[in-house]
Amino acid sequence: MERERAFAKEIASLENVFNFLDEFFRLETIDNRDSLAIQLVTEELFTNLVKYNTTSTNPVVVGLERDGKVVNLELVDRDVDRFDPAGLPEVDVDAPMSQRQPGGLGLHLVRAIVDKITFEYAERVMRIHVVKKLETNHA
Amino acid sequence: MLDISTGDDGSVRLRGRLDAVQAEKQADAFAKLAGSAVLDCKELDYISSAGLGLLFGTHKRLSNTGGGLRLINLKPHIRELFAIAHFDSIFQID
Repeated sequence: MERERAFAKEIASLENVFNFLDEFFRLETIDNRDSLAIQLVTEELFTNLVKYNTTSTNPVVVGLERDGKVVNLELVDRDVDRFDPAGLPEVDVDAPMSQRQPGGLGLHLVRAIVDKITFEYAERVMRIHVVKKLETNHA
Repeated sequence: MLDISTGDDGSVRLRGRLDAVQAEKQADAFAKLAGSAVLDCKELDYISSAGLGLLFGTHKRLSNTGGGLRLINLKPHIRELFAIAHFDSIFQID
């Protein structure tokens, strides 16, 4: 990835993650609509790693690059046990309020927003790769 | 950063970002809401699943006692997230 940065694996890192994303959006002149979508996807995936990949306290590396009208986002979590976010149960968004719980929406939102998402696990490294097409014409 | 204030009309005004950090920080403020409340989201710029979960949990708690949250002035990109989560059929959104 053209731009990468490592962040402590804790929710409190989110502010620094957002600052890193903002630098990228400014450099690439990516507008508010697309940047908000990429922020949301990054937050959801980062917080999932914090919550579920608890076997390591290694920092999570967030990488970004722009390829024309597409942004590639990657999160890399090293020295972790296998965890398959794709295997998490789908939240039932059609359930009545009485049966719904406050959590579990993160991956549902991510899947609805991105154009492609892949989860790879090899040699104790988890790599999440996201492709997001930019919706607005950017310079 | 999320700022919560009360408007002249009694609505609860949200200003800023309701991400996972802020959802945790503001949980106590939402726990104090009682009965029926109007959330004015005119200046709410960002919300993630953690924020949606906080609003949903609050709405569900209030609904159990006959109240609930009514959301007004949602920005289009935030309203879109409510639709993706199918929260638009759970909350009253004006």
